[in-house]
Amino acid sequence: MGTFFHRHRSGTPYLLLAPGILWLAIFFLIPLLFLGYESLQSGDFPHFQFTWEFSNFSDGIRDYHQQFVRSFVYAGIATIACLLLAYPLVYWIAFRAGPWRNLFLLAIVAPFFVTYLVRTIAWLNILADQGPVVSLLRDLHILGPDGRLLATTFAVVAGITYNFFPFMALPIYVSLEQIDPRLLEAAKDLYASPTRAFLRVTLPLSAPGIVAGTLLTFIPAAGDFINAALLGTPKQSMIGNVIQSKFLESLDYPSAAALSFLLMGAILVALLIYARIVGSERLTG
Amino acid sequence: MTSVAAPTPRARPSIAARSWAFVKRHALTAYALLVIAYLMLPIAVVILFSFNAPSGRFNYVWEGFTLDNWVNWNDVLGIQAAVIRSLEIGFLATIVATVLGTLIAMAIVRHRFVGRGATSLLIFLPMATPEIVLGASLLTLFLNATAVFQLGFVTIFIAHVLFIVSFIVVTVKARLIGFDRHLEEAAMDLGANEITTFRKVTLPLLAPAMLAAALLGFALSIDDFVITYFNGGSVTQTFPVFVWGIARVSVPPQVNVVASAIFLVAIALALGNVLWQYRSAKRTQGAT
Amino acid sequence: MNPRMTRDQLLRRGAAGLTLLSLPSLLAACGGGGGGSSAGDGEVNDVLNFSNWELYTDTPKTRKAAGMTGPTTLEQFTKKTGIKVNYYEDINGNPEYFATVQGRLSQGQGIGRDIIVTTDNDKFLGEYLDNGWALKLDKSLIPNISNLIDVQASPPFDPNREYTLPWFSGMDGIAWNEDVTGPVTSVKQLFEDPDLKGKVGVWGQMGDTLGLIMLSNGDDPAKVTDESFDRAITTLKTAVDSGQIRKFYGNDYAQPLSTGDLAASMAWSGDIVNLGNPKLKWVIPEAGGIIWTDNMLIPLGGSVPTASTYMNFVYDPEIAAQLALGANYISSVKGVKEAAAKINPKAIENTLVFPTDEMLAQMHQNDPAMLTNQDYTDRWLQVKGT
Repeated sequence: MGTFFHRHRSGTPYLLLAPGILWLAIFFLIPLLFLGYESLQSGDFPHFQFTWEFSNFSDGIRDYHQQFVRSFVYAGIATIACLLLAYPLVYWIAFRAGPWRNLFLLAIVAPFFVTYLVRTIAWLNILADQGPVVSLLRDLHILGPDGRLLATTFAVVAGITYNFFPFMALPIYVSLEQIDPRLLEAAKDLYASPTRAFLRVTLPLSAPGIVAGTLLTFIPAAGDFINAALLGTPKQSMIGNVIQSKFLESLDYPSAAALSFLLMGAILVALLIYARIVGSERLTG
Repeated sequence: MTSVAAPTPRARPSIAARSWAFVKRHALTAYALLVIAYLMLPIAVVILFSFNAPSGRFNYVWEGFTLDNWVNWNDVLGIQAAVIRSLEIGFLATIVATVLGTLIAMAIVRHRFVGRGATSLLIFLPMATPEIVLGASLLTLFLNATAVFQLGFVTIFIAHVLFIVSFIVVTVKARLIGFDRHLEEAAMDLGANEITTFRKVTLPLLAPAMLAAALLGFALSIDDFVITYFNGGSVTQTFPVFVWGIARVSVPPQVNVVASAIFLVAIALALGNVLWQYRSAKRTQGAT
Repeated sequence: MNPRMTRDQLLRRGAAGLTLLSLPSLLAACGGGGGGSSAGDGEVNDVLNFSNWELYTDTPKTRKAAGMTGPTTLEQFTKKTGIKVNYYEDINGNPEYFATVQGRLSQGQGIGRDIIVTTDNDKFLGEYLDNGWALKLDKSLIPNISNLIDVQASPPFDPNREYTLPWFSGMDGIAWNEDVTGPVTSVKQLFEDPDLKGKVGVWGQMGDTLGLIMLSNGDDPAKVTDESFDRAITTLKTAVDSGQIRKFYGNDYAQPLSTGDLAASMAWSGDIVNLGNPKLKWVIPEAGGIIWTDNMLIPLGGSVPTASTYMNFVYDPEIAAQLALGANYISSVKGVKEAAAKINPKAIENTLVFPTDEMLAQMHQNDPAMLTNQDYTDRWLQVKGT
């Protein structure tokens, strides 16, 4: 009998973790350490000096708190939008699509095969001021006569929503897919209405997926820059844009590093609050 | 004494009631198809514009239909190599990341060990790091270790596995949390050891989740520009890097053609899978 | 399989497995990678590594479209000198490319290139030169340097042309979409015409945008003072805050301009040529335009003799003409117009590729001191929202 793993239970997790964590340790943690070192430097490119420059952090908060808040708001709205849009779709795929489910799963992810730039060019075409969508909205008086969809907050948030949709959809699918349909049958047999069965059986069982999807959408979206860059104006700039320009255009590497850590820190704080709310076993099991 | 009432003949439901029932039954399907349509909308435009015949070097305005771009899809220098590179890295990085990620997920969910919480948080960090920072700091690492790492295919591969693995872990975890261990316990009670149980019981049950995670990882890899650009050393161009590079001067329809082709091939493979599912379902039906 | 694997066996197998996983990559990593040039001393190599922007040279397709036959200029170079060219189109932005090479250069290492190309109205050319990351040209190998047009002979960043030579130039001007608006011929109109509100585009590059604005304010973009900078920034900020300006663009203004989302925009001459859309018109603004030049330079670790030989080759008017016709950008070589007329008489009518002297007289250049000024950069980025 496989007693090996029983006897050496304490060794197993480390063995499982080893290759992946090793990869992360070498290729992420080490660069992160260097980034930390950089965040405490000062001076002008390329002559930076290590001076325990904690003011990089305080300056970052002072100068860019607007962009930080904005990033979290945009990411938050997009995450909620993704959740509301994706859940019913994925529910349908898991329970009603039958042999077609893999096709529809692929359809969710397929837009990514087309390169961000190419699909954004397509969106810019579809949502152009003179295009069919905006014209329709103007006719319906949802938009003013000079109204537009592009170069607005709506465009940026919609862009984030569209581009992070699979990150919400697939994890939810993963936890819906495993639900034994007999559980739902049982609920029905016990006179539960479809709504009640959903709320009492399906939804709770899909909670891990919802949590996972929320994290996979919100966390990268908060640091996103490309949607704001291509679809927004200076009024929509996110912290990702700031870090981008500090790094590429200002050549202010210490500030860029400090801002990155501030972003990571803010996300971790949000994560801990979230874990509190949903219960930490939802995050780790 | 209670008597069983004779069932009253039910009046035929009115058309309104029947229509409402119809709507309720199919509302979800309609919604699902609408959302899919929304997701596919830009793709439709991309495919449409692959048949465009622009007079200039950009493909922004519809000017006329032509099959030329599809016939001469390889006309744009470098596009073929870039696509192949993207697919190679995509498959390789996804497979490795899925393996590593699944192992990590299993460790975190199924075992209690020192550092479990920290590991969990560590997994989230790469996702929380802006791409440019991730790409640039990885580049710094590679440049400081040029004895071991030369910029090119391998460094892109390493970078891709790095940023994909977190997504795999979180996705597979969603399946593992609440995983019914009874089946595995039953298998072991019947004499299977841990490895056999894993192979024959756990893995097949985990497979759909791993597949979904891999799909996500592949999408991430094939669409990445920033990290790839920084760590490719320009010897190796992937499709997004190629497109971004060329976009300054030209967005030829061939880009649409290649993008559409990748999309259509993927759909075709998925359709094949649908057919296969139908067949095997039929076979099991017929066997009973 | 024996279920009773001992701990030893498992660990050994595990270790072997891990090694198998990583060994091939390590081996590949050691063996692979991009080729570098020799730290050139006096010897002309048999390979030239040249990094450039995309579509910035002639290709068989563009040659055909321009009425030329025969091999590309790169192939002609190889035939003439025996030097093979590894041509990399990996520059898609000055800041991005700089970010990928600055690490090695700042440590004194080469980047595996003999020639790279960078724009003069971005801070990065100044960074290469100021930090000593560019090698001096061997002018004895570049007799054709005498073909450099006078206006390019003595730029402020390299007064004696010791490190750089122009590749192509482009003009900054204003473009408008005929279907949406009448002619827009000045920056003032661009920023103040109420009919254009919300449909105006400007660049996300400081030199280009502020350069045009300074000219419109009556200031000299080649000699920037704190006051002239303040004026320009204020003008810009007013237009941004009022919603006149829709967005800051890279070269992605081309799409909204084509579809009519933008009525008018600051635009590069080369883009208008490449768009080939008859509805889009381009002018030099009334107050004058900015001319930018992409310059060749030899980075650390590059082979000076090999690079210089190539530079000499492309400064031959015959070759320069083929390049100009094939890439649709402005050449800085004397006699290029005449040489191009011989190949394709009609093509030289395109003043966006072969500007007249009157046009060139209206062109100004950016002040490198403004571009490398950190304070100015920060204030510019603030207006952009970052």
